[in-house]
Amino acid sequence: MLAVEIEHLNVYIRHAHILKNVTLRIPKNTVFVIMGPSGSGKTTLLKVINRLIDFTEGVRVEGVVRVLDIDALKADPYELRKRIGMVFQTPNPFPHLTIYENVAIAAKLNGVARSKRELDEIVRWALEKAMLWDEVKHRLHAYPHQLSGGQRQRLCLARALAMKPEILLLDEPTANIDPINARKLEEAIVSLKDEVTVVMVTHSPHQAARVADYIAVLYDGRVVEQGPAQQLFLRPSTEITQKLLRGEM
Amino acid sequence: MYSGRRLKEALFTVTIITLSVAAIAPVLHIVYTVLVNGVSVIVKAGLRFFTDLPPTPGSAEVGGIAPAIAGTILITAIAFPLSVVLGLFSAILTTEFPKNPLSLLVDTIARSLASVPTIAISMVIYTVIVVPMRSFSALASALALTIVALPYTYTYFSAALRSVPAMYREAAFSLGMSRWDTVTRVLIPISRRIIAAGALTTLARIMGETAALLFTAGRFRGGVAISLTAPVDAIPLLIFDYILSPYEIWHEVAWGASALLLLSYLAIFMSVKLMVKEVKL
Repeated sequence: MLAVEIEHLNVYIRHAHILKNVTLRIPKNTVFVIMGPSGSGKTTLLKVINRLIDFTEGVRVEGVVRVLDIDALKADPYELRKRIGMVFQTPNPFPHLTIYENVAIAAKLNGVARSKRELDEIVRWALEKAMLWDEVKHRLHAYPHQLSGGQRQRLCLARALAMKPEILLLDEPTANIDPINARKLEEAIVSLKDEVTVVMVTHSPHQAARVADYIAVLYDGRVVEQGPAQQLFLRPSTEITQKLLRGEM
Repeated sequence: MYSGRRLKEALFTVTIITLSVAAIAPVLHIVYTVLVNGVSVIVKAGLRFFTDLPPTPGSAEVGGIAPAIAGTILITAIAFPLSVVLGLFSAILTTEFPKNPLSLLVDTIARSLASVPTIAISMVIYTVIVVPMRSFSALASALALTIVALPYTYTYFSAALRSVPAMYREAAFSLGMSRWDTVTRVLIPISRRIIAAGALTTLARIMGETAALLFTAGRFRGGVAISLTAPVDAIPLLIFDYILSPYEIWHEVAWGASALLLLSYLAIFMSVKLMVKEVKL
Protein backbone atom coordinates (compact mmCIF):
# COMPACT_ATOMS: atom_id res chain seq x y z
CA MET A 1 0.00 0.00 0.00
CA LEU A 2 1.48 3.32 -1.08
CA ALA A 3 0.75 6.70 0.50
CA VAL A 4 2.60 8.64 -2.19
CA GLU A 5 3.62 7.55 -5.66
CA ILE A 6 5.66 9.94 -7.77
CA GLU A 7 6.65 9.25 -11.36
CA HIS A 8 8.86 11.29 -13.65
CA LEU A 9 8.31 14.47 -11.69
CA ASN A 10 9.93 17.59 -13.09
CA VAL A 11 9.61 20.96 -11.39
CA TYR A 12 10.74 24.22 -12.95
CA ILE A 13 10.78 27.55 -11.14
CA ARG A 14 11.08 30.26 -13.77
CA HIS A 15 13.99 28.91 -15.83
CA ALA A 16 15.60 26.75 -13.14
CA HIS A 17 15.06 22.98 -13.33
CA ILE A 18 14.64 22.13 -9.61
CA LEU A 19 13.44 18.50 -9.61
CA LYS A 20 14.63 16.25 -12.43
CA ASN A 21 12.69 13.14 -13.38
CA VAL A 22 12.02 12.15 -9.75
CA THR A 23 10.37 8.78 -9.16
CA LEU A 24 9.53 7.76 -5.58
CA ARG A 25 7.28 5.28 -3.81
CA ILE A 26 6.39 6.00 -0.20
CA PRO A 27 4.73 3.07 1.60
CA LYS A 28 1.90 3.77 4.06
CA ASN A 29 2.61 3.90 7.81
CA THR A 30 6.34 4.25 7.52
CA VAL A 31 8.85 6.99 8.25
CA PHE A 32 10.25 7.92 4.85
CA VAL A 33 13.28 10.19 5.03
CA ILE A 34 14.47 12.37 2.17
CA MET A 35 18.14 13.21 2.58
CA GLY A 36 20.31 15.51 0.57
CA PRO A 37 22.55 18.55 0.77
CA SER A 38 21.16 22.12 0.79
CA GLY A 39 19.61 23.13 -2.51
CA SER A 40 18.98 19.59 -3.70
CA GLY A 41 15.20 20.15 -3.94
CA LYS A 42 14.04 18.40 -0.74
CA THR A 43 11.63 21.11 0.38
CA THR A 44 10.30 21.56 -3.15
CA LEU A 45 9.50 17.85 -3.24
CA LEU A 46 7.52 18.09 0.02
CA LYS A 47 5.64 21.12 -1.28
CA VAL A 48 4.64 19.24 -4.41
CA ILE A 49 3.03 16.53 -2.27
CA ASN A 50 0.70 19.00 -0.48
CA ARG A 51 0.57 21.48 -3.39
CA LEU A 52 2.05 24.36 -1.37
CA ILE A 53 4.24 24.66 -4.45
CA ASP A 54 1.25 26.40 -6.11
CA PHE A 55 2.12 29.57 -4.19
CA THR A 56 5.62 29.76 -5.65
CA GLU A 57 5.77 32.31 -8.44
CA GLY A 58 6.67 31.05 -11.90
CA VAL A 59 6.42 27.35 -11.05
CA ARG A 60 5.71 24.55 -13.57
CA VAL A 61 5.13 20.96 -12.44
CA GLU A 62 5.16 17.97 -14.83
CA GLY A 63 4.75 14.27 -14.13
CA VAL A 64 2.50 12.07 -12.03
CA VAL A 65 1.97 12.58 -8.31
CA ARG A 66 -0.52 10.23 -6.68
CA VAL A 67 -1.23 11.01 -3.05
CA LEU A 68 -3.57 8.72 -1.11
CA ASP A 69 -4.76 7.27 -4.40
CA ILE A 70 -5.76 10.59 -5.93
CA ASP A 71 -4.06 12.60 -8.66
CA ALA A 72 -2.57 15.34 -6.51
CA LEU A 73 -1.77 17.66 -9.39
CA LYS A 74 -5.41 17.70 -10.53
CA ALA A 75 -7.10 17.50 -7.11
CA ASP A 76 -8.59 20.45 -5.22
CA PRO A 77 -5.48 21.60 -3.31
CA TYR A 78 -7.47 22.81 -0.29
CA GLU A 79 -9.18 19.43 0.13
CA LEU A 80 -5.87 17.63 -0.46
CA ARG A 81 -4.12 19.66 2.26
CA LYS A 82 -6.78 18.71 4.79
CA ARG A 83 -5.43 15.14 4.58
CA ILE A 84 -1.74 16.15 4.81
CA GLY A 85 -0.18 17.87 7.82
CA MET A 86 3.08 19.76 7.60
CA VAL A 87 5.70 20.96 10.07
CA PHE A 88 8.16 23.52 8.74
CA GLN A 89 11.84 24.13 9.38
CA THR A 90 11.15 27.28 11.43
CA PRO A 91 8.51 26.89 14.16
CA ASN A 92 5.46 28.89 13.06
CA PRO A 93 2.63 28.58 15.58
CA PHE A 94 0.02 31.31 15.09
CA PRO A 95 1.17 34.11 17.42
CA HIS A 96 -2.33 35.54 17.97
CA LEU A 97 -3.75 32.25 19.22
CA THR A 98 -3.15 30.53 22.55
CA ILE A 99 -1.53 27.09 22.79
CA TYR A 100 -5.00 25.52 23.00
CA GLU A 101 -6.37 27.56 20.09
CA ASN A 102 -3.36 26.76 17.90
CA VAL A 103 -4.11 23.05 18.17
CA ALA A 104 -7.88 23.42 18.16
CA ILE A 105 -8.05 25.55 15.00
CA ALA A 106 -6.84 22.69 12.81
CA ALA A 107 -9.32 20.22 14.29
CA LYS A 108 -12.18 22.71 14.05
CA LEU A 109 -11.52 23.75 10.46
CA ASN A 110 -11.24 20.20 9.24
CA GLY A 111 -14.35 19.02 11.05
CA VAL A 112 -12.39 16.57 13.18
CA ALA A 113 -14.10 17.75 16.38
CA ARG A 114 -17.74 18.78 16.57
CA SER A 115 -18.29 19.49 20.26
CA LYS A 116 -16.24 21.31 22.88
CA ARG A 117 -15.60 17.99 24.65
CA GLU A 118 -14.34 16.36 21.46
CA LEU A 119 -12.17 19.36 20.81
CA ASP A 120 -10.68 19.22 24.32
CA GLU A 121 -9.92 15.53 23.80
CA ILE A 122 -8.27 16.08 20.41
CA VAL A 123 -6.17 18.96 21.76
CA ARG A 124 -4.96 16.81 24.64
CA TRP A 125 -4.33 13.80 22.36
CA ALA A 126 -2.33 15.91 19.87
CA LEU A 127 -0.27 17.60 22.60
CA GLU A 128 0.44 14.21 24.19
CA LYS A 129 1.47 12.74 20.85
CA ALA A 130 3.81 15.70 20.34
CA MET A 131 5.21 15.11 23.86
CA LEU A 132 4.24 18.60 24.94
CA TRP A 133 1.18 17.98 27.14
CA ASP A 134 3.05 17.66 30.45
CA GLU A 135 4.88 20.91 29.84
CA VAL A 136 1.84 23.02 28.88
CA LYS A 137 -1.19 21.40 30.53
CA HIS A 138 -1.37 24.13 33.17
CA ARG A 139 -0.93 26.98 30.72
CA LEU A 140 -3.01 26.08 27.70
CA HIS A 141 -4.15 29.68 27.46
CA ALA A 142 -0.62 31.09 27.26
CA TYR A 143 0.67 32.37 23.93
CA PRO A 144 3.39 30.68 21.81
CA HIS A 145 5.94 33.44 22.46
CA GLN A 146 6.03 32.22 26.07
CA LEU A 147 7.36 28.82 24.91
CA SER A 148 10.91 27.84 23.97
CA GLY A 149 11.82 27.28 20.30
CA GLY A 150 11.66 23.49 20.73
CA GLN A 151 8.32 23.65 22.50
CA ARG A 152 6.98 25.89 19.72
CA GLN A 153 8.06 23.29 17.15
CA ARG A 154 6.33 20.51 19.09
CA LEU A 155 3.25 22.74 19.25
CA CYS A 156 3.37 22.91 15.44
CA LEU A 157 3.55 19.11 15.37
CA ALA A 158 0.51 18.93 17.66
CA ARG A 159 -1.32 21.42 15.44
CA ALA A 160 -0.60 19.29 12.36
CA LEU A 161 -1.67 16.09 14.19
CA ALA A 162 -4.95 17.65 15.35
CA MET A 163 -6.07 17.64 11.70
CA LYS A 164 -5.88 13.83 11.92
CA PRO A 165 -3.82 13.75 8.74
CA GLU A 166 -3.06 10.61 6.80
CA ILE A 167 0.35 11.94 5.77
CA LEU A 168 2.66 14.14 7.83
CA LEU A 169 5.34 16.16 6.04
CA LEU A 170 8.28 17.31 8.18
CA ASP A 171 10.71 19.78 6.66
CA GLU A 172 13.90 19.60 8.75
CA PRO A 173 11.81 19.98 11.90
CA THR A 174 14.77 19.82 14.28
CA ALA A 175 17.06 22.18 12.35
CA ASN A 176 16.39 25.18 14.58
CA ILE A 177 15.92 23.60 17.99
CA ASP A 178 18.13 22.31 20.79
CA PRO A 179 19.22 18.63 21.07
CA ILE A 180 16.87 17.77 23.96
CA ASN A 181 13.84 19.06 22.12
CA ALA A 182 15.08 17.43 18.92
CA ARG A 183 15.23 14.06 20.70
CA LYS A 184 11.65 14.49 21.99
CA LEU A 185 10.48 15.35 18.51
CA GLU A 186 12.20 12.30 17.04
CA GLU A 187 10.58 10.04 19.66
CA ALA A 188 7.23 11.53 18.77
CA ILE A 189 7.85 10.94 15.05
CA VAL A 190 8.73 7.28 15.53
CA SER A 191 5.67 6.70 17.73
CA LEU A 192 3.40 8.20 15.05
CA LYS A 193 3.90 5.79 12.20
CA ASP A 194 1.11 3.46 13.27
CA GLU A 195 -1.35 6.25 12.63
CA VAL A 196 0.21 8.30 9.88
CA THR A 197 2.75 8.13 7.05
CA VAL A 198 5.67 10.39 7.89
CA VAL A 199 7.72 11.98 5.12
CA MET A 200 10.66 13.80 6.65
CA VAL A 201 13.38 15.91 5.13
CA THR A 202 16.72 16.04 6.89
CA HIS A 203 20.35 16.55 6.06
CA SER A 204 21.49 14.71 9.16
CA PRO A 205 22.46 11.03 8.53
CA HIS A 206 22.41 10.38 12.29
CA GLN A 207 18.82 11.53 12.53
CA ALA A 208 17.89 9.50 9.46
CA ALA A 209 19.45 6.42 11.06
CA ARG A 210 17.40 6.94 14.21
CA VAL A 211 13.99 7.40 12.66
CA ALA A 212 13.88 6.16 9.05
CA ASP A 213 12.28 3.02 7.65
CA TYR A 214 13.04 4.10 4.10
CA ILE A 215 15.42 6.67 2.70
CA ALA A 216 15.68 8.51 -0.59
CA VAL A 217 18.82 10.48 -1.38
CA LEU A 218 18.28 13.60 -3.42
CA TYR A 219 21.16 15.36 -5.11
CA ASP A 220 20.89 18.28 -7.51
CA GLY A 221 17.20 17.58 -8.06
CA ARG A 222 17.63 13.85 -8.83
CA VAL A 223 16.95 10.79 -6.69
CA VAL A 224 20.33 9.08 -6.69
CA GLU A 225 19.34 6.19 -4.41
CA GLN A 226 16.33 4.95 -2.47
CA GLY A 227 15.45 1.89 -0.41
CA PRO A 228 15.06 0.48 3.09
CA ALA A 229 17.10 2.48 5.60
CA GLN A 230 19.13 -0.45 6.88
CA GLN A 231 20.17 -1.52 3.40
CA LEU A 232 21.11 2.01 2.44
CA PHE A 233 23.23 2.53 5.54
CA LEU A 234 24.95 -0.86 5.26
CA ARG A 235 25.49 -0.92 1.50
CA PRO A 236 25.23 2.54 -0.03
CA SER A 237 25.51 2.06 -3.77
CA THR A 238 26.53 5.54 -4.90
CA GLU A 239 29.44 7.75 -4.01
CA ILE A 240 27.07 10.64 -3.24
CA THR A 241 25.23 8.55 -0.62
CA GLN A 242 28.53 7.42 0.90
CA LYS A 243 29.70 11.03 1.18
CA LEU A 244 26.36 12.14 2.62
CA LEU A 245 26.42 9.40 5.24
CA ARG A 246 29.97 10.34 6.21
CA GLY A 247 28.82 13.93 6.64
CA GLU A 248 31.07 15.18 3.86
CA MET A 249 28.27 16.99 1.99
CA MET B 1 39.86 54.35 20.72
CA TYR B 2 37.44 53.29 23.47
CA SER B 3 36.67 56.85 24.57
CA GLY B 4 36.21 57.84 20.91
CA ARG B 5 33.54 55.19 20.54
CA ARG B 6 31.82 56.36 23.71
CA LEU B 7 31.89 59.96 22.48
CA LYS B 8 30.31 58.87 19.18
CA GLU B 9 27.66 56.92 21.07
CA ALA B 10 26.87 59.93 23.29
CA LEU B 11 26.75 62.26 20.28
CA PHE B 12 24.38 59.87 18.52
CA THR B 13 22.08 59.68 21.55
CA VAL B 14 22.01 63.48 21.99
CA THR B 15 21.28 63.98 18.27
CA ILE B 16 18.42 61.47 18.31
CA ILE B 17 16.87 63.05 21.41
CA THR B 18 17.23 66.60 20.02
CA LEU B 19 15.70 65.66 16.67
CA SER B 20 12.87 63.77 18.36
CA VAL B 21 12.07 66.77 20.56
CA ALA B 22 12.26 69.06 17.51
CA ALA B 23 9.84 66.78 15.65
CA ILE B 24 7.34 66.49 18.46
CA ALA B 25 7.52 70.11 19.72
CA PRO B 26 5.20 71.64 17.06
CA VAL B 27 2.62 68.91 17.71
CA LEU B 28 2.76 69.51 21.45
CA HIS B 29 2.49 73.26 20.85
CA ILE B 30 -0.65 72.77 18.72
CA VAL B 31 -2.21 70.43 21.30
CA TYR B 32 -1.37 72.89 24.10
CA THR B 33 -2.74 75.95 22.25
CA VAL B 34 -5.95 74.24 21.21
CA LEU B 35 -6.60 72.84 24.67
CA VAL B 36 -5.80 76.10 26.48
CA ASN B 37 -7.99 78.20 24.18
CA GLY B 38 -10.71 75.63 23.63
CA VAL B 39 -11.32 73.76 26.88
CA SER B 40 -12.12 77.04 28.70
CA VAL B 41 -14.82 77.76 26.10
CA ILE B 42 -16.37 74.31 26.55
CA VAL B 43 -16.24 74.68 30.35
CA LYS B 44 -17.81 78.16 30.13
CA ALA B 45 -20.65 76.93 27.88
CA GLY B 46 -21.14 73.71 29.84
CA LEU B 47 -23.47 71.03 28.49
CA ARG B 48 -25.13 73.60 26.26
CA PHE B 49 -22.02 73.50 24.05
CA PHE B 50 -23.21 70.07 22.92
CA THR B 51 -26.94 70.77 22.72
CA ASP B 52 -27.45 74.39 21.61
CA LEU B 53 -27.33 76.10 18.26
CA PRO B 54 -24.33 78.35 17.48
CA PRO B 55 -24.55 81.95 18.75
CA THR B 56 -25.47 84.93 16.58
CA PRO B 57 -22.58 87.39 16.05
CA GLY B 58 -23.96 89.79 18.63
CA SER B 59 -24.75 87.17 21.25
CA ALA B 60 -23.22 87.40 24.70
CA GLU B 61 -23.42 83.65 25.25
CA VAL B 62 -21.20 81.05 23.54
CA GLY B 63 -24.11 78.75 22.78
CA GLY B 64 -23.31 75.36 21.25
CA ILE B 65 -22.36 73.46 18.16
CA ALA B 66 -25.05 70.77 18.18
CA PRO B 67 -25.68 70.89 14.38
CA ALA B 68 -21.98 70.45 13.66
CA ILE B 69 -21.61 67.60 16.18
CA ALA B 70 -24.66 65.79 14.78
CA GLY B 71 -23.51 66.36 11.21
CA THR B 72 -19.99 65.06 11.89
CA ILE B 73 -21.36 61.96 13.64
CA LEU B 74 -23.82 61.32 10.80
CA ILE B 75 -21.26 61.76 8.01
CA THR B 76 -18.58 59.78 9.85
CA ALA B 77 -21.03 56.96 10.60
CA ILE B 78 -21.42 56.46 6.85
CA ALA B 79 -17.99 57.35 5.50
CA PHE B 80 -15.86 55.51 8.08
CA PRO B 81 -17.29 51.97 7.77
CA LEU B 82 -17.58 52.40 4.01
CA SER B 83 -13.92 53.39 3.60
CA VAL B 84 -12.76 50.67 6.03
CA VAL B 85 -14.69 47.92 4.24
CA LEU B 86 -13.72 49.09 0.74
CA GLY B 87 -10.10 49.66 1.81
CA LEU B 88 -9.87 46.25 3.45
CA PHE B 89 -11.33 44.34 0.51
CA SER B 90 -9.12 46.24 -1.93
CA ALA B 91 -6.08 45.48 0.23
CA ILE B 92 -7.00 41.77 0.40
CA LEU B 93 -7.44 41.68 -3.37
CA THR B 94 -4.11 43.32 -4.16
CA THR B 95 -2.07 41.42 -1.56
CA GLU B 96 -3.56 37.99 -2.30
CA PHE B 97 -3.69 38.35 -6.08
CA PRO B 98 -0.95 40.89 -6.87
CA LYS B 99 -0.65 39.90 -10.54
CA ASN B 100 -4.38 40.03 -11.27
CA PRO B 101 -5.28 42.87 -13.73
CA LEU B 102 -8.09 44.00 -11.40
CA SER B 103 -5.58 44.24 -8.54
CA LEU B 104 -3.26 46.37 -10.64
CA LEU B 105 -6.20 48.63 -11.56
CA VAL B 106 -7.38 48.95 -7.93
CA ASP B 107 -3.83 49.67 -6.77
CA THR B 108 -3.32 52.35 -9.44
CA ILE B 109 -6.66 54.03 -8.70
CA ALA B 110 -6.15 53.98 -4.92
CA ARG B 111 -2.66 55.45 -5.20
CA SER B 112 -3.80 58.08 -7.72
CA LEU B 113 -6.68 59.14 -5.49
CA ALA B 114 -4.20 59.97 -2.73
CA SER B 115 -2.72 62.70 -4.90
CA VAL B 116 -6.04 64.31 -5.93
CA PRO B 117 -6.71 67.53 -3.95
CA THR B 118 -9.67 66.99 -1.63
CA ILE B 119 -11.33 70.17 -2.87
CA ALA B 120 -11.38 68.66 -6.37
CA ILE B 121 -13.14 65.58 -4.96
CA SER B 122 -15.65 67.95 -3.36
CA MET B 123 -16.27 69.59 -6.75
CA VAL B 124 -16.76 66.24 -8.49
CA ILE B 125 -19.30 65.11 -5.89
CA TYR B 126 -21.01 68.52 -6.22
CA THR B 127 -21.44 67.90 -9.94
CA VAL B 128 -22.39 64.23 -9.71
CA ILE B 129 -24.54 64.16 -6.55
CA VAL B 130 -25.42 67.63 -5.27
CA VAL B 131 -26.59 69.15 -8.58
CA PRO B 132 -28.82 66.20 -9.63
CA MET B 133 -30.27 65.98 -6.09
CA ARG B 134 -30.71 69.77 -6.05
CA SER B 135 -29.46 69.84 -2.47
CA PHE B 136 -26.36 69.63 -0.36
CA SER B 137 -26.58 66.55 1.81
CA ALA B 138 -25.00 64.27 4.39
CA LEU B 139 -24.91 61.58 1.70
CA ALA B 140 -22.88 63.74 -0.69
CA SER B 141 -20.51 64.69 2.16
CA ALA B 142 -20.09 61.07 3.22
CA LEU B 143 -19.31 59.97 -0.34
CA ALA B 144 -16.73 62.75 -0.73
CA LEU B 145 -15.12 61.74 2.57
CA THR B 146 -15.13 58.07 1.61
CA ILE B 147 -13.18 58.90 -1.56
CA VAL B 148 -10.76 61.03 0.48
CA ALA B 149 -10.30 58.27 3.07
CA LEU B 150 -10.05 55.29 0.74
CA PRO B 151 -6.36 55.70 -0.20
CA TYR B 152 -5.53 55.87 3.52
CA THR B 153 -7.37 52.70 4.51
CA TYR B 154 -6.10 50.89 1.42
CA THR B 155 -2.46 51.87 2.00
CA TYR B 156 -2.53 51.09 5.74
CA PHE B 157 -4.36 47.80 5.35
CA SER B 158 -2.23 46.49 2.49
CA ALA B 159 0.92 47.41 4.45
CA ALA B 160 -0.55 45.60 7.48
CA LEU B 161 -1.35 42.43 5.52
CA ARG B 162 2.08 42.45 3.85
CA SER B 163 3.77 42.85 7.25
CA VAL B 164 2.72 39.34 8.31
CA PRO B 165 5.67 36.98 7.76
CA ALA B 166 5.09 34.49 4.92
CA MET B 167 5.58 31.51 7.26
CA TYR B 168 2.17 32.08 8.90
CA ARG B 169 0.45 32.18 5.53
CA GLU B 170 2.17 28.89 4.62
CA ALA B 171 1.18 27.36 7.96
CA ALA B 172 -2.45 28.34 7.37
CA PHE B 173 -2.51 26.85 3.86
CA SER B 174 -0.81 23.68 5.11
CA LEU B 175 -3.75 23.18 7.51
CA GLY B 176 -6.16 23.18 4.60
CA MET B 177 -7.37 26.73 5.19
CA SER B 178 -8.90 28.50 2.20
CA ARG B 179 -7.65 31.92 1.15
CA TRP B 180 -10.59 33.53 2.92
CA ASP B 181 -9.88 31.65 6.17
CA THR B 182 -6.19 32.47 5.88
CA VAL B 183 -6.94 36.19 5.54
CA THR B 184 -9.68 36.41 8.16
CA ARG B 185 -8.37 33.94 10.74
CA VAL B 186 -4.62 34.51 10.41
CA LEU B 187 -3.43 37.57 8.48
CA ILE B 188 -5.93 40.14 9.83
CA PRO B 189 -5.74 38.97 13.47
CA ILE B 190 -1.92 38.95 13.43
CA SER B 191 -1.78 42.48 11.99
CA ARG B 192 -4.77 43.78 13.97
CA ARG B 193 -2.77 46.47 15.75
CA ILE B 194 -1.56 48.01 12.47
CA ILE B 195 -5.04 47.67 10.99
CA ALA B 196 -6.58 49.39 14.03
CA ALA B 197 -3.97 52.18 13.82
CA GLY B 198 -4.74 52.63 10.11
CA ALA B 199 -8.48 52.69 10.75
CA LEU B 200 -8.00 55.30 13.48
CA THR B 201 -5.84 57.54 11.36
CA THR B 202 -8.55 57.35 8.72
CA LEU B 203 -11.23 58.13 11.30
CA ALA B 204 -9.27 61.19 12.37
CA ARG B 205 -8.89 62.20 8.74
CA ILE B 206 -12.64 61.84 8.11
CA MET B 207 -13.60 63.76 11.25
CA GLY B 208 -11.15 66.55 10.54
CA GLU B 209 -11.47 66.94 6.75
CA THR B 210 -12.74 70.35 5.62
CA ALA B 211 -12.21 70.88 1.89
CA ALA B 212 -14.15 67.79 0.83
CA LEU B 213 -17.21 69.23 2.59
CA LEU B 214 -17.07 72.74 1.12
CA PHE B 215 -19.34 71.96 -1.85
CA THR B 216 -21.20 69.00 -0.40
CA ALA B 217 -22.38 69.55 3.19
CA GLY B 218 -24.36 72.78 2.94
CA ARG B 219 -23.47 74.24 6.37
CA PHE B 220 -26.96 73.90 7.86
CA ARG B 221 -26.70 75.46 11.32
CA GLY B 222 -30.36 76.22 11.98
CA GLY B 223 -31.05 72.92 13.69
CA VAL B 224 -29.87 69.34 14.10
CA ALA B 225 -30.15 67.50 10.77
CA ILE B 226 -30.65 63.75 10.88
CA SER B 227 -31.63 63.19 7.26
CA LEU B 228 -29.18 61.75 4.75
CA THR B 229 -30.61 63.87 1.96
CA ALA B 230 -30.72 67.21 3.79
CA PRO B 231 -27.89 69.72 4.20
CA VAL B 232 -25.73 69.23 7.31
CA ASP B 233 -22.99 70.99 9.19
CA ALA B 234 -19.67 69.50 10.33
CA ILE B 235 -17.22 70.51 13.06
CA PRO B 236 -14.27 71.30 10.73
CA LEU B 237 -16.52 73.37 8.45
CA LEU B 238 -17.79 75.35 11.41
CA ILE B 239 -14.23 75.95 12.62
CA PHE B 240 -13.18 77.07 9.12
CA ASP B 241 -16.10 79.51 8.76
CA TYR B 242 -16.02 80.90 12.29
CA ILE B 243 -12.28 81.44 12.61
CA LEU B 244 -12.33 83.47 9.36
CA SER B 245 -15.20 85.64 10.62
CA PRO B 246 -14.61 89.02 12.29
CA TYR B 247 -16.68 88.12 15.40
CA GLU B 248 -14.95 87.43 18.70
CA ILE B 249 -17.75 85.13 19.92
CA TRP B 250 -17.43 82.94 16.80
CA HIS B 251 -13.66 82.73 17.34
CA GLU B 252 -14.37 81.39 20.81
CA VAL B 253 -16.79 78.79 19.45
CA ALA B 254 -14.19 77.75 16.85
CA TRP B 255 -11.59 77.19 19.59
CA GLY B 256 -14.10 75.16 21.60
CA ALA B 257 -14.96 73.07 18.53
CA SER B 258 -11.25 72.47 17.82
CA ALA B 259 -10.69 71.31 21.39
CA LEU B 260 -13.68 68.99 21.16
CA LEU B 261 -12.31 67.44 17.95
CA LEU B 262 -8.87 67.02 19.52
CA LEU B 263 -10.25 65.48 22.71
CA SER B 264 -12.34 63.07 20.63
CA TYR B 265 -9.21 61.95 18.77
CA LEU B 266 -7.33 61.42 22.02
CA ALA B 267 -10.22 59.46 23.56
CA ILE B 268 -10.53 57.20 20.50
CA PHE B 269 -6.78 56.64 20.19
CA MET B 270 -6.36 55.85 23.88
CA SER B 271 -9.31 53.46 24.06
CA VAL B 272 -8.24 51.51 20.97
CA LYS B 273 -4.65 51.39 22.23
CA LEU B 274 -5.93 49.86 25.45
CA MET B 275 -8.39 47.50 23.76
CA VAL B 276 -6.40 46.12 20.81
CA LYS B 277 -3.57 43.98 22.10
CA GLU B 278 -0.34 43.73 20.14
CA VAL B 279 0.49 40.30 18.76
CA LYS B 280 3.97 39.20 19.84
CA LEU B 281 5.62 37.26 17.04
